[in-house]
Amino acid sequence: MSVAVAARRRFSKVDWRDPNTLTYVGLGFLALIYPTLVYLINPDQGPALVSQAADAGVFVVMALGLNVVVGFAGLLDLGYAAFFAIGAYTYGMLASGQLALSPIGHEVHLPFWVLLFVAVLVAATCGAILGAPTLRLRGDYLAIVTLGFGEIVPRVFRNLSQFTGGVNAISAIDAPVLPYWIDGPWDGGASFAVVQNLKFTAGEPTAYYVLMVLIIVAVVVVIRNAQRSRIGRAWMAVREDEVAAEAMGVNTVNIKLLAFAIGASVSGFAGCYFGAKLSTVSPENFTFLVSVTILLMVTLGGMGNIPGAIVGALVIYFVQYKLLSDLPHWVAAGAGALNLSQHATNVATDYATRLNFVIFGLILAVTMLLRPQGLLPSRVRAQELQRGTTDESVFDAAAT
Amino acid sequence: MATVAGALKQTRLGISGRVGGWIFYGVPLVAFLVLILPRLFLNPGFFLQILVFGVTDGAVLALIALGYTMVYGIIELINFAHGDIFTLGGFIGVLIFSLIGIVPGKDLNLGFLTLFVVIGVMAVTMAINGGINVLIERVAYRPLRHQPRLAPLITAVGMSFILEGLMFIWKGPNFIQSPDLLPGGHFTVLAANVDYRSIVLIAAALVLVVLLTLFIERTKLGKAMRATAQDRDAAQLMGIDINRTISATFFIGAALAAAGGILYGFYLHNFRFDTGFITGLFAFTAAVLGGIGNIRGAALGALLIGLIRAFNDGYGRSEWSDVLIFAILVYVLVFRPTGLLGMQVPEK
Amino acid sequence: MTRLKGLRPVAVVFAASLAAAACGGSSGGSSSTADKGEIHIGVEMPLSGTESTQGQPILKGVQYAAQRAGKVKGFTIKVIPFDDAVNGVHDPQKGAQNVQAMVGDTKLLGFVGPLNSNVAKTEIPIAADANLTMISPANTGVCLTKDNADSRFPYDAGCGGLAKQLRKSNPNNYFRVVTTDDYQGPAMADYFLQVLKIQKVGVASDNQTYGKGIADAFTAEFKAKGGQVVGPRNDYDQNTTDFKPFLTAAKNAGAQGIYVGGTTGTKVCQVRAQMNGIFDATTPFGGGDGIVQDGECVGQAGAMAPNVFASIAAVDPVHVPSAKSVIDGYKKAYPDPADYTAYSIVATDAGGILINAISKAIDDNGGNMPKRDGVRKAAASTKNYQGALGSTSFDANGDTSVKIISIYKYDSADPKKANDEPWVGQENFGEDKPTVKTS
Repeated sequence: MSVAVAARRRFSKVDWRDPNTLTYVGLGFLALIYPTLVYLINPDQGPALVSQAADAGVFVVMALGLNVVVGFAGLLDLGYAAFFAIGAYTYGMLASGQLALSPIGHEVHLPFWVLLFVAVLVAATCGAILGAPTLRLRGDYLAIVTLGFGEIVPRVFRNLSQFTGGVNAISAIDAPVLPYWIDGPWDGGASFAVVQNLKFTAGEPTAYYVLMVLIIVAVVVVIRNAQRSRIGRAWMAVREDEVAAEAMGVNTVNIKLLAFAIGASVSGFAGCYFGAKLSTVSPENFTFLVSVTILLMVTLGGMGNIPGAIVGALVIYFVQYKLLSDLPHWVAAGAGALNLSQHATNVATDYATRLNFVIFGLILAVTMLLRPQGLLPSRVRAQELQRGTTDESVFDAAAT
Repeated sequence: MATVAGALKQTRLGISGRVGGWIFYGVPLVAFLVLILPRLFLNPGFFLQILVFGVTDGAVLALIALGYTMVYGIIELINFAHGDIFTLGGFIGVLIFSLIGIVPGKDLNLGFLTLFVVIGVMAVTMAINGGINVLIERVAYRPLRHQPRLAPLITAVGMSFILEGLMFIWKGPNFIQSPDLLPGGHFTVLAANVDYRSIVLIAAALVLVVLLTLFIERTKLGKAMRATAQDRDAAQLMGIDINRTISATFFIGAALAAAGGILYGFYLHNFRFDTGFITGLFAFTAAVLGGIGNIRGAALGALLIGLIRAFNDGYGRSEWSDVLIFAILVYVLVFRPTGLLGMQVPEK
Repeated sequence: MTRLKGLRPVAVVFAASLAAAACGGSSGGSSSTADKGEIHIGVEMPLSGTESTQGQPILKGVQYAAQRAGKVKGFTIKVIPFDDAVNGVHDPQKGAQNVQAMVGDTKLLGFVGPLNSNVAKTEIPIAADANLTMISPANTGVCLTKDNADSRFPYDAGCGGLAKQLRKSNPNNYFRVVTTDDYQGPAMADYFLQVLKIQKVGVASDNQTYGKGIADAFTAEFKAKGGQVVGPRNDYDQNTTDFKPFLTAAKNAGAQGIYVGGTTGTKVCQVRAQMNGIFDATTPFGGGDGIVQDGECVGQAGAMAPNVFASIAAVDPVHVPSAKSVIDGYKKAYPDPADYTAYSIVATDAGGILINAISKAIDDNGGNMPKRDGVRKAAASTKNYQGALGSTSFDANGDTSVKIISIYKYDSADPKKANDEPWVGQENFGEDKPTVKTS
């Protein structure tokens, strides 16, 4: 049997009415055409928009990782940004001039492609170290321990200023470089226009975008396979009833630890990319609010569902980084259209800025009230919710 | 993986058994003997002074933590908006004080009347704040009561943002000042000054702990609350009006937060729209440290956090204070998974 | 890209929805008749959240500068605000995105900002690539322009060649109208030692880039000139509410004064308020430009406001003939006292210098819309710009030539009088052997 036949057979099994399939296809299509589309519509703002999409990808990756911890295994994690910080600082310290100023006294410039995996390992190790003694905690006690960890890690990075630059951040971090043997039309000649200049520079962020899409695809594939394997079923069992799962022979500690480590490593992945893309790693990037934001993304998108996490992350990121920050510009444009005076325009934009918090809060609350299961809930969850036989909520089943 | 699991099973036994008990009490004891006790003899006055500051800070934090732990105890919701309800209480208090002509910096010298004014304003503020919180519960949490746990958590975050945003629009990004109606003056013990202000705050926190404990253990509503907390369905079958009980809990929680907010203002003078969010985080930490849902535990946790911070600020380097607090939290939970005074709940 | 033009009709379908979301800095569509068009200047600040106390006055300062300039050689100057705060906190990632959006706005020739040095570190590389002029009215981090602190100070900024790494091979595009931490900290240290005759101080900071920077510089200079820093160094977190343990420890160690690096928004003046009962009301308290001439600070400090000393990297307006008209004009345009801070005047100068550079670049380009590179060159050659800060020139690093630190003292506990508090001294680091002058 040839590969083609197998592929065709696999393809014929795809359920095209499944919202998840549609979302995957839609997102994939959007990811493909997005750079071309924005360059066509608004060539001037093209780089900025593609770059912003790549930034959004960081949060998509983190939402995917947290989805494993919260959505699959049912462990509430309020300090997820800690692993993000660990990944980012791993890259920042090992790919910049930072360590020359430290007691080590030597610059370290390892390539991005190596550090991507180093960061994953470091983050996963930290996840396991945190998880090992604490995973026997139940429900919200685990949540508060992770919260504590999430508060400790950025502060440690901030306070160990000898090594990490402290409040002054690590900046001028190396950009990724394609290995010398990868060259093509983008590297000078312009034979096909769409991918011209596939280099990692700030002004031409297409390469970052492509890398981000590849990372997301890889993470989705790995997580999806894990979810559909024995591990995934064990996660579900632990989530729904830990005692029963243990009675059925599931090694609950290991399986929870695995979820924690996978979640942490994905976050480390994202952190490494984040440090490379922004070229600065500073402690204020990893506050409690970041952890909460990622949790919002997962929950809003639909817990336990991979496309849901992606959609949730994109929606929240769009609201926070685009909608709310552009609102004053729109108000200004509106005021300009109404021919208001400069002063009146300034006052109006000022108020639009002040409304930030309220609008974001309203979006969260209203979405949750209208769709408590999230925008794109997992099918298993949706069925459980619809049946509504138990008063006990799904998430709570494992907690005391 | 197998070895990891084996090692974990070992640690699991190790830290909860008798050896665990020794470690749990031993490490803090050694730390106390080595790091803290010598300082008492080096400079007793200063030591005592730091102790007074720490206890007072703990009392301030306890005022928020009590409300937190009550709400959590009943519906198991990490109410992120509680800290902002606390700020709102302070804001409303400042507003009412200014309406009756009491503004910071102005010396009114009401004498004995001050007590009545404070109690009157506090009562009004508590009522308003309680009403707002009941309304929030009705709108944002009740419709989600039968939904997954995280849904109300998200609306709580949303509510927190909305409250902060509204206070931001109301008062702007600056600190606002609260009047100070606490008695001035101090007495001296061993070269340590103890302000009467501190005494008032500590007394207020103690009284609240006692009152709340009595309320929950002795009154009918308290009994209803405990029943609701344990098993909502069974409580309902016993004829308890769940909605009313939960509303009452939110009312009391917010009223406590309002009282706390006003006292916080008296003691520390300055508020901002986001004061409550981060303070609330520490109040929640205090509640968990003591054993969540446990009134005395919340107060104990708050006291501990206050002391840790005061001693580290006074003797050590303050940038590590938060790290220390959270490290101790993790330490406690590793050995006592339900907090210091929390009940051991059997696994379902 | 040309090859794909055939797709345009299809794209138009999406255009309505996406274009609105896409163009951050789109012009309002109001084109006047005879003029040559619009030139945009950006203002990149945290405009929402807690730091808006600094960001908003700066925005207004630049708006005022544009208003003063009116039409520049036939072009209308339009100020476009960019907010780098997400969830109320400055976000370096958002800052980088803002600069990218600015780069995409072809009419935008330069911007004033940012507020935070860490945000600047993400923005300089992007702006340098695009030759976009940045003029910061607030960044005081030493390493953004120089490789180390002024060699006269014992303070090691530990830059490791950052300034060069940020700009790569591009020419310098970053300028600032305020001097760096390495001058502001030492000026107050000298003032404490020489004028107030204090030998022992307690030092604290808000543990953020600016506050920690000036506190470190203060400490280094104070020790080098023979003073003693006593008690535990306190770098407090933003959730700290009680500073009394630190203050008591400092008092116990014999501190005669307290120096705190930070801003009004990061509770510096609350530290002062809590000195009540531990220190005498006459004990001096020092801080940087984060608390200078600030009614909010006086409000927070309450009755303890008198004897607070604050420095600012600018010449006192009374000593600068060109300042009065600027300040009076600003106060007329923005009568709300919350809009007038030390930053708004600095920002007016930053905006004025940028507009000046644009004007010069227009001339160089034969009266046409200038190129960004032209504006950058014109800004770099700024000489003796007469503004509210005195006469400003930029050196090769992009730093201001005005190295005068003025020191103010709060005399009154009335917040309304904060802007008129007396000037008590200055130190000019432009001189070879700088000393504090009190008259």
